Amino acid sequence: MSELTVRPGAVPALSAAGLGYSYPRSPAPALVDVSLDVAPGEFVVLAGRSGSGKSTLLRAACGLVPHFHGGRIEGEVGVAGLDAIACGPGELAAAVGYVAQDPETQVVSTTVGAEIGLPLELRGDPPASRARAVEEVALALAIPHLLDRAVDTLSGGELQRVALAAALVTRPRLVLLDEPTSQLDPVSGDELIWLLRRLNEEWGVAVLLAEHRLERCLAAADRVVSMAAGAIVFDGAPAEFLGWARAADPALETPAARLFSLAGIDPLPVGVRAARLRLTSLRASGAGTPAPSTRQAEGAGGPACAPVVPTAAGPVTAVPHPGKGVGARVRPPRRPPVGEQPALSVASLSVELVGDEAPRDVLRGVDLRVDRGERVALMGRNGAGKSTLLKTAAGLLDPVRGKAEAPGGIALLTQNPGDFLVRERVGDELPGPVGEAALHAVGLEHAADADPRDLSGGERQRLALAVTLAGRMEGEALPGLVALDEPTRGMDWARKDDLVALIERLATAGAAVVVATHDVEFAAGFAERVVLLGDGVTIADGPAGEILSGGWYFATEVARVLDLPGVVTPEQGAAALAGRPPGEFANQRLTNPPGREGR
Amino acid sequence: MRSPFAYIPRPGPLQAASPGAAVAYLGALVVVAFLYSNPLVLLAAGAAAVLAGLLAGARTAVRAALRMGVALALLIVVVNALVVDRGQTVLARLGGWPLLGEVTITAEALVAGLSIGLRAAVAMVAFAVYSACVDPDRVLRALRPLAGRSALTATLVSRLVPVAAADAARLRDAAGLRGPGAAEVGKAPLARRLLAGSLDRAVDVAATLELRGYSLERGRPKRPHRSSQRRAIEGKKGLSAPKAFNRGSRFDRRFYLAGAVVLAAAVVGEVAGADEFEVYPAIAVGTGPATLALCALLVLAGLAPRRRRPHRRAAPASPAAAGSPKAVAALRGPGAAPLPEVPRV
Repeated sequence: MSELTVRPGAVPALSAAGLGYSYPRSPAPALVDVSLDVAPGEFVVLAGRSGSGKSTLLRAACGLVPHFHGGRIEGEVGVAGLDAIACGPGELAAAVGYVAQDPETQVVSTTVGAEIGLPLELRGDPPASRARAVEEVALALAIPHLLDRAVDTLSGGELQRVALAAALVTRPRLVLLDEPTSQLDPVSGDELIWLLRRLNEEWGVAVLLAEHRLERCLAAADRVVSMAAGAIVFDGAPAEFLGWARAADPALETPAARLFSLAGIDPLPVGVRAARLRLTSLRASGAGTPAPSTRQAEGAGGPACAPVVPTAAGPVTAVPHPGKGVGARVRPPRRPPVGEQPALSVASLSVELVGDEAPRDVLRGVDLRVDRGERVALMGRNGAGKSTLLKTAAGLLDPVRGKAEAPGGIALLTQNPGDFLVRERVGDELPGPVGEAALHAVGLEHAADADPRDLSGGERQRLALAVTLAGRMEGEALPGLVALDEPTRGMDWARKDDLVALIERLATAGAAVVVATHDVEFAAGFAERVVLLGDGVTIADGPAGEILSGGWYFATEVARVLDLPGVVTPEQGAAALAGRPPGEFANQRLTNPPGREGR
Repeated sequence: MRSPFAYIPRPGPLQAASPGAAVAYLGALVVVAFLYSNPLVLLAAGAAAVLAGLLAGARTAVRAALRMGVALALLIVVVNALVVDRGQTVLARLGGWPLLGEVTITAEALVAGLSIGLRAAVAMVAFAVYSACVDPDRVLRALRPLAGRSALTATLVSRLVPVAAADAARLRDAAGLRGPGAAEVGKAPLARRLLAGSLDRAVDVAATLELRGYSLERGRPKRPHRSSQRRAIEGKKGLSAPKAFNRGSRFDRRFYLAGAVVLAAAVVGEVAGADEFEVYPAIAVGTGPATLALCALLVLAGLAPRRRRPHRRAAPASPAAAGSPKAVAALRGPGAAPLPEVPRV
C-alpha cells in the first residue's frame, strides 16, 4: 500500500464499500462488491483489461452511475464526504472532476476560455472569481495561450488539456481520468502524466487514473488497483503490483517488468529509471550488464565485449545483434522481386490543409516506397502528417505537389471504425457469401446477427476492416496496400494480439500493411520497418529495431532501459541479457509470451 | 473540415468589441440593404460589409459569402426575368413555356431582380462577417441572464452543428472506402447513421453538462451589484480582472457610433431622396448628391474595423543608438543634471 493512507477521522477523497452495479438490461454486473479508499492527495492507477469495470467505477465516483445511466446499484460510494449515490453529478462537481477518454465528446463551448469557465458559470460564481480561476488553471496546465482559441482548432493533446482544465477549475479534491493518453503521441502522453503528478503534488488533488499503457504511468503512481470482471483483484504499491501481475495476469506487466521476469532479475522495476538503477547496481556488484558504450562499439563494427550480468538465473552475457536485433521475432523484410510494382509509391508529396488563417503545409516533399508483404509502422507526434499521408494515398485528399499512388489498390481503415458501420446488423453490412467470407477472415462469423454498436472496440475495428476488405481478401483481388490509422486506441494487449495476427495474415497473403500509430510497443510487436514523420517530412526510415531503439520518446520501454541498438522488445532484451542466441525467443509471440496464453 | 463561416478568434477591433456593438454595426448595414432599393446604395452597403470583413481578417468567410451571395443573386435575376414581363426594354421573347406561359425577358425585370439579389447578398456577407468575427460564447453569455437554458441550447447548437458537418464528411469518406463486397451505402443509411451519431454525441454532451453542474438549481449566474463588481476589479478581495471578465471593449464606442451614423444617414437619405430608383416601366437610378453622399458614407463605414497603428516615437536609427548618450539625454527631464562625458574607447 502507498504511504498515503486515510487517517482515522479524515474524510477520504473517495470511498466505496460493497459497491455493486448493473447497467440497465445487462445480465452481468459491471461492479461486484468493490471496496476502496483513496486518500486525499493520493495518485492511484486503475489497471485491468477492457471490460473489467474501470470506467464504470470512475463513473460511479463522479455520480454518472447511477444518476445518468440508470441501472441497479448497491453499497456505498462517497466523494470527499458527499454521498455519491444520494447526490447527483452536479452536486459532486465541486468535489470531483472527470476526464473521459475522448475529449472531443466532452467539450460543449466554442472557445477554450468559455469551456473552462463553464462549470463556474453554471455554479453561479461571480465573473471576477471565474476569471481568476480560469486564468490560474490555464497557467497550471500551461495553456494560457489557448484561452482565446476555438476548440475545433485544437490538437488532441491540447483538447485533452482543456478537458482537464475544465475538470480542475472548480479545485476538486479528486480527479478521475479514463485513459486520457489513448489518443496522444508518446510525447504528449508523458507530458500529461507528469502534469497530473505535478498537480497531485502541488495542489494535493487525489488522482484516480484508468490506463492500459501502464508503462507510461506506473512510475508516477502511489498505488495500483487492478480490476477483473467488475471486482478489485489487487490493491497495493506499484512494485507489488508488478509481482502480482507476473503471477496472476501477465497481460498487465509492463515491458520493463516483462524484461526482468524473462531475465530472472528481481525485484521488478517500476519504470525506466528503476530498471536502469537495478541493472547498474547489478553491474557494480558483478561483472556488469551490456553497457551503453556497447552501442558505440557496435557502431564501430561489432561489440567490443560481451559483458556478464549476475542474475538470479545465473550470469548472463550480452550477445551481438546483427541486423534487426537480438532474438528478433518479427519476420525480416521480404525482398520484392526485381521490377515488382510497389504497394505504395510516394514521391515529393506535399499536401496543404486549410487551417485557421491560411493553408497549412501538412506534408512537405515526402518520398516513400513500400513493397508488398512489408509491415510498416508510420509514427510521429500528433499533427505530423501520418493520417494525411494515408488519406492522400487513398485519394481522399489532393496533393499540391508530387504524388502518392497505390498501384495495387488500397484498403484504408480510418481512425474511427464506427464511420464504416452504418447498418444495425453486422450481416447487413456484409451480405452474401462474399460478406460471410470477409467476416470469417476477421473472426466475426459468430456476430452476423449482432448490432455493430454492441460489439467491443476491438470487434468493431475488425468488422470495419472486413468492410473495407470485403470482396478483395483473396488472391488477385487483395489490395496491394492495407492501411490502418490508429487502430489500437483504447485496446488492451489481448485485442492488440488479435490485430497483430490479422496484420500477419494480410502481409503473408501479399499485402503491404502500413499502420499509423502512437503505440511504440505495438509497433515493435508487428512492424519490420518504421517510418517516422516530423512536421510533414520523413525524419527516419529504417528497420523497426533500429528506429525504436534509437531515441527517447519514440523508443520502447525496453530500449530505454537497455539502450542497446536493435533491442526493443522484452524478449530481445532478455536474450541480450541472457547471452542466448538471437533465435531463442523467436518461436514465441511477442505479444503473447508465456503466461499470456490464457487471455 | 471547418465551416468557412466558423468563428476564429483574432486580435481585431471587431472581434474585441462586445457582441452588441458588432451587431449594431453590421445590423445597420443590413437595415440599409432592406430599406433601400437603389442598386448603387446596395452596392455601397455590400462594399462596406466586404471591407469590414476583410479588415477584420475574415477573408475566407467573405469569399464564401460572396460566392453564395452572387449565386443567389443570379438565381433571383433569372427567376425574376422569367416570371416578370413588365418593362419597356424587351431583350428577348422566348415564346410559350409550360407553367410560365409567354416568356419575355426585359432589361427592367433583370435590374429589378438584381436589386433584390443584391439585397440578399449584402445580408449574407454581413452575416458571414458576424459569424466569423463575433464570439458566439460571448453572444450567448450576454443572452444568458434573459434566457439561460435557451442560450445554453444555442451554444450547444453552435458547437455541434460544425461537429455534425465534420461527421458527415468522415462518413462520406468512409463510404467511399468500402470494399466491393460490402453493402452499398445509400443516402438513407448514411443519414440514419449521422442521426444516430448525433444522438450519441448528445448523450455525451448531456453527461458532460451534468458533470459541469448544469442540473444545479443555483446554476443561473447572478448579476453582481455594480459596486461589488468594481470592488472585485479593484482587487479589494484580491481578485484581478483578466480579459475574460471584460464586459465591454474600448472599440464598442466606435462600432455603436458607426452603426448609429449609418442608420441616421439612411433615414435622412430616405427623406432626402437618396433611394430614387424606378424600374418599371423604365429604369431610372437616382445618382443625386444625396445618393452619392450616402454611398460614400457607407463605404467609409466599412473602414470601422480597421486597426489603428499605435503612435510611436521615431525609433532610433540603430539598436546601438537606443542606449546612446543622445537618446538617454532626450529622455531626461529638462531640469535633470547633465550626463557626465563618457570617454570613448
